[in-house]
Amino acid sequence: MKDETAVLRIRGLVKEFDGFRALNGIDLEFGKGLLIGLIGPNGCGKSTMIKCISRIYPQTEGIIEVNGNNISEMKVMDVAKMVANVPAEVGQTFGISVMDMVMLGRYPFVDRIWWENPEDERISREALRTFGIDHLRRKQVSLCSSGERQRALIAKAYVQEPILMLVDEPTSHLDIKYKLQVMEYLQKMARSDMTVVVAEHDISLMARYCDVCVIMKKGEIVAVGDPKVIITEQLIRDVYEVDARVGLDADGEIYMLPKRCLEDCP
Amino acid sequence: MLEKRHRRHRNNQVDLDVSEISLKKKRFRLIVMFGSFMSAMAFLISISISSGGVIPLSDAIGALLSSIGKALENDRNLDIIELYIYNGRLPRTMAAIAVGAGLAIAGCMYQAVIRNPLVDPYITGVSSGAGCFATAATALGFSIPFLLDNSLYLIPVVAIAGGLIAFAITMTVAECSGGASINYILSGIIVGFAFASIQTIFMTLGKNHLTDVMWWLYGSFAYITWENAWIVFVPVIGVSLITMIWAREFNLYSMGEDQAAQLGLNVKMFKRLTMIVASILTSLCVAFVGIIGFVGLVVPHACRMALGSDHRLIMPASIVIGAMLMLFADLIARTVMSPAELPVGAITAMIGTPVFAYMLMKRGRDYEG
Repeated sequence: MKDETAVLRIRGLVKEFDGFRALNGIDLEFGKGLLIGLIGPNGCGKSTMIKCISRIYPQTEGIIEVNGNNISEMKVMDVAKMVANVPAEVGQTFGISVMDMVMLGRYPFVDRIWWENPEDERISREALRTFGIDHLRRKQVSLCSSGERQRALIAKAYVQEPILMLVDEPTSHLDIKYKLQVMEYLQKMARSDMTVVVAEHDISLMARYCDVCVIMKKGEIVAVGDPKVIITEQLIRDVYEVDARVGLDADGEIYMLPKRCLEDCP
Repeated sequence: MLEKRHRRHRNNQVDLDVSEISLKKKRFRLIVMFGSFMSAMAFLISISISSGGVIPLSDAIGALLSSIGKALENDRNLDIIELYIYNGRLPRTMAAIAVGAGLAIAGCMYQAVIRNPLVDPYITGVSSGAGCFATAATALGFSIPFLLDNSLYLIPVVAIAGGLIAFAITMTVAECSGGASINYILSGIIVGFAFASIQTIFMTLGKNHLTDVMWWLYGSFAYITWENAWIVFVPVIGVSLITMIWAREFNLYSMGEDQAAQLGLNVKMFKRLTMIVASILTSLCVAFVGIIGFVGLVVPHACRMALGSDHRLIMPASIVIGAMLMLFADLIARTVMSPAELPVGAITAMIGTPVFAYMLMKRGRDYEG
């Protein structure tokens, strides 16, 4: 954050859907090479924020700057060269293969109208190897397991060679091994100077891996900072209305154990 | 033995590292070569077989070439076979190629952009609008002032107008309701129903004139001559080929609109553009030969099942397969019950269904649409 230009700078971001304020004045600033966790209850605006930064949604008010450039004033194609997005789910993919999907990540870079360059293919194959899915490259995405599909989606974003990667709920369908694996990949990318923003529900996992956590509630930011400092039992109670135990394990890693709802079920 | 195994191992190694792009390029060349060859064969077969009998292939080719040569030199002394092939067969065959290719590629575009496998070229109400106007014009004894009494153009002109009006209404309703794919499908369906019901009213009113429009409602190439063959062939083939430059953009759509937008595509503009182009293409196809179903729905699916999801392969394949299916359907339509002509739309489905059912049973398990 001491960098002269922050990789991501958000000022007064507001997003409204038919009068409903999904984001209500967000201010954030992050430097290079950080893994940032977005945490908050369902509907708090995590995904909306990610979609605004990826320019899938236009914002209602406010400024989003990536590397000092206001993305609303840039061409969509140029934003795609700096910002990559890993969606929470892809839904129906019409039989597309893993390789074809990863190669789509090169779309903003291909200047020809028909075939990709050999360079694009080399980068895509390298990404497939990096994420350990090269052997699956001819398999249909829809026939892959959730873990394989998630890695393919991350590889697709990786070949965009972004400086900012936004990942929406990457581990929600995964078992614990793949959860850790995905987080390891994201951490590795952050260490290689990419700024990675992850929205996730698993607070212990986020607290363990992220350099900075952003806690959101009802479209506003409640707390920002080192997860070990900001994640407390009081915070969980305020944000989620849930009683929880927060502590450090024998290795000094933070964990959060939800105990019970504060409200009675109707 | 060992050497053989070793070689096989090495081949596998080579296979593992082969470039996916060059593999696709190879397949693309194969489609173009195989497609051109098969289309040429289908074309020659189509011009040499008629209701009257079979002209030997060599005679047909000879007559075709000599008649074209004479036509280019403005020599009007064609002999009987030349006349038959040049005036009777050639325009009709060209129209069949164009309409088959055009409907298949329009269906392919709609399915990709709307992201729904059940979509066909008539989803935006083009066929219903065109059908309604054509029926109205015939039933009411309509005439267009500057077209004299040339009934050859009456139905096509009103059909194009009707098709485009129906599409404009569908587009307006869909855009006003948010422009999502499902809005397009639903507004297309209701507009289609509206025009179809108006059509039945005109059919009741103009019972006595119905035979004049029946051939059109069922689809037929019988009224194609040199005068209108060009109007179908040149724009339809031209537009079909041009749309292939968007193959990569159609590929982006397979991951959904959000991802396509994130990767730098102006999703709204692109969807609007392709909807307009595909609807104009459909209107042109429908105008002169009437409503021919099945091709636009099923040919793109057959190509996807055989070739995978890349539109750089599916689109050229759809053009070729669509054209060939239509050529054979027309051939059967005009020969089987001659001198009577069967509706070509019925034949496309009759040839296509068993082939497609077989593919579905073979590949259906892993097929996503």
